[in-house]
Amino acid sequence: MLIENTIDFFLNMDTAKVLAYFWPFFLLDMTRYLLLDVVVISVYAIKRVFHKDQYALARRQLYKERPLVSILIPGKNEGKHIPRLAESLTRQTYKNIEIIIVDDGSDDNTAEICRRLEQEGKIDRFIRNEVRGGKASAANTALSFSSGKYIVHIDADSHLAFDSVETILLPFYMDPAIGAVGGDVRVANTDVSFVTRLQGIEYMKSISIGRTVSSELGILRIIAGAHGAFRRDILERLHGWDVGPGLDGDITLKIRKLGFRVVHEPHAVCYTNVPDRFRALARQRFRWDRSMVRFRVRKHRDILLPSLNFSFLNFLASAENIFFNLILDVKWWVYIVQILIIHPTILQYVFLINFVLYMAANFLQFFIASLLLGDSMRRKDYLLAFFIPLVPVYTGIFLRIVRTYAYLMEFLHGASYFDKWNPWKVSRVVKEEKL
Amino acid sequence: MRMPCLVARESNTIPQSVLYSDPSSVSEPDSHDIAYWIVDMQDWRAGWQLVASLREHLSPKVYLRPIVYMNADNSMPEEISKAADGQLNGNLDNGTMLEVLASSFEKTNQWIDHLPDTNTAADANISFKVLRLIASREGEQKPVTTVRRKSGYVYPLLEPLFSKRDEGVLEILEFLDTQKLISGSFVSKAHFCSSCNSAFINFKESCPQCGADDLAVDELVHHFRCAHMGAMSDFMRGSSMVCPKCDRELHHIGVDYDKPSIMYTCNQCSHGFQDPAIMTSCYNCGRSTEPENQLSRVISAYSISAIGQNAASYGMEALFTKILDSELQLCSFDAFRDFYRVEAARIRRYKKSESSLAMIALRDIDKLYIRLGGRATEVFGELSTVFRTVLRQSDVITARNESIFFVIMTETSTQHAERAVERLREGITELLSSNLDFAPEMSSLIKTISVDMDLDKTLEAFLQT
Repeated sequence: MLIENTIDFFLNMDTAKVLAYFWPFFLLDMTRYLLLDVVVISVYAIKRVFHKDQYALARRQLYKERPLVSILIPGKNEGKHIPRLAESLTRQTYKNIEIIIVDDGSDDNTAEICRRLEQEGKIDRFIRNEVRGGKASAANTALSFSSGKYIVHIDADSHLAFDSVETILLPFYMDPAIGAVGGDVRVANTDVSFVTRLQGIEYMKSISIGRTVSSELGILRIIAGAHGAFRRDILERLHGWDVGPGLDGDITLKIRKLGFRVVHEPHAVCYTNVPDRFRALARQRFRWDRSMVRFRVRKHRDILLPSLNFSFLNFLASAENIFFNLILDVKWWVYIVQILIIHPTILQYVFLINFVLYMAANFLQFFIASLLLGDSMRRKDYLLAFFIPLVPVYTGIFLRIVRTYAYLMEFLHGASYFDKWNPWKVSRVVKEEKL
Repeated sequence: MRMPCLVARESNTIPQSVLYSDPSSVSEPDSHDIAYWIVDMQDWRAGWQLVASLREHLSPKVYLRPIVYMNADNSMPEEISKAADGQLNGNLDNGTMLEVLASSFEKTNQWIDHLPDTNTAADANISFKVLRLIASREGEQKPVTTVRRKSGYVYPLLEPLFSKRDEGVLEILEFLDTQKLISGSFVSKAHFCSSCNSAFINFKESCPQCGADDLAVDELVHHFRCAHMGAMSDFMRGSSMVCPKCDRELHHIGVDYDKPSIMYTCNQCSHGFQDPAIMTSCYNCGRSTEPENQLSRVISAYSISAIGQNAASYGMEALFTKILDSELQLCSFDAFRDFYRVEAARIRRYKKSESSLAMIALRDIDKLYIRLGGRATEVFGELSTVFRTVLRQSDVITARNESIFFVIMTETSTQHAERAVERLREGITELLSSNLDFAPEMSSLIKTISVDMDLDKTLEAFLQT
């Protein structure tokens, strides 16, 4: 009955009414996240075919030069994930790597596990900081003891596909202006819980497709800490990472400001373990979303302002993020108010139609992702399609509420300065100095 | 009334209240009425030789007697200074002082007087001398550290016993402790070279990759505001610390920076690491090895136990035989003699079988516990097992002392007895030489048991050889 009425309601609307009732989808989300994705990914796929020879040449150059690549793995209490990561690194097609793990003051058996791996020769160097200093300091410790020409940063709770190191290095041999390359981050533990399955779909949409599109448009604004490759000379110029949270987005913008390109490589695959409970996920996103305000709106505000170093693409990279995530976050609340106040009688029809529209969009994005990722899609990744109908509720309601709360807390209270993710002594200093 | 006795090479002017003895003529009969020995330590090295000769004397009436230093000054090492029972301040004319000293040693002298007048063969055994010295003095014998001994520790009272050898005291004390003859209380723990027993071991950090000990050490510094991590040396600008990343001066550790770890870098192979390998090398023999391969010993202060007091007074039974007794149920020599008599009579009566008497001597077995200390009991246990496997339950065994054994091998011809003793020899040699690179010399004699043979004379003849 509801479905029939909803179909009648939708079919009886003219274009103006459709736009009036469903403007967030048709004017914003469909345009930005669906049409643009389809166009850009199509162009990218074609380019990839045409650039096949360039990739082959880059691979030959890489193996001819055979530079040392330092794999930096900072982490705290991640011991249980390390053996699998070390195993995935020893099986890499590209062998000239040094693996450096830094334990940022773990209070579990991480040190024991890592020392054993070091003795077994599965990692090259293990450094333990007895006092926790935060992720940036751990990454910088690893950087100071590395000697590779390229630096690959991997989160300790992740592991790599067998050719990932080789693949993430290729863009450096195709364009000398590239300063950093982001690897494709997929969810390792999709089969653990409902939450991890939803994140599996979300990562395919926002990272595999989203970052490939941003990269093609020249506005990629983040290279994930889970898997990113950097030129050593650039990291040395920047003296490594600054205090987080959000240090990966921060360093990406700093590299862009130096005038280098940052690109995404969807075929350099990294699998990461994501939170398997809604509560833990909410905490993680609360941290991530606040860093958007802290870094893009505060620390790197200069990107948005006219200056001698002004770059339109850098401006666009930051502005697009601020507009679509921060400003348009308000649109939803406006839209909800609009529906509740102006059209309360048709609430159920509007909700159902929105649900169908976004579900359809998600199916289409999933299909595009499948085409883009090709062989690297695992069987369990395809099975995630069964959960797509629930994604609109996950992204549209759950993540939106978390995001809105994060923005408000950061704007009003500077909540990120109190985050336990950093040691309190570090948070105190960066808060005092408004960093 | 006991009198002090000056032991000196020359007797110049000695008051009547003091006896005199030339070191070469010190003997038991003379020492009955002696309260203590006086040794002139003006030349402490010469004096120390006299002290050593007194303590090394075979007679307990001599070596147990208190020793007092005369003319002692601060130039002598602490362990020699403390080896005396007392110091004589002033000259020999001070009769009051001499008497005070004599009365202070009266208890010790009475204990010495009560020792039974048995033969003094056991007093040739250094372990027994150690036990008696400890028993004769009140209180604990405390260790003193020294660089003059490779063991690193000496027990001043016992030190003169070891003046001619630089080993053994710790092992002997450990052994006596394991036998419950003395009891130790914890003083310290020390490492000893497992090769030469020296306490002088150098512990050094070395590179886990190449083993070199040429290492550079640097603290890592974490600057909170910019997350920069680097070696301390990177931050040093003159006398202050400045962050190379953000150019800010660092002021207070824990407030704007901390030092989360230490890094070692090998100057030989450039390997960087946090956990250096620890290696030890012995100053004495030069052997290098990991600390876990060295001996770790508890250094204790020792006092006599009740069992030890008894053993010191009435003679310490051969210690190996105690262990052997628990394995084989040794019989007393009287019981052995009775059994021999019965067996000889039985053979003559029935004239059907032959039994043998085996006499076995293991030389230098006391060296085992000097070398092994507390671990000697383990080896003695193993030795006992060898005895048990070779001998039969029908054999009757007794021990004359810790190295001489007599066995009645019933229903055994001399050839078979020879074979059994040979197996015993092989077993003992194999056990000791393979594990310790040391095998005691073993001699044996087999006789057929008969009523015509005088057991005591036969055994005595064997002992004479």
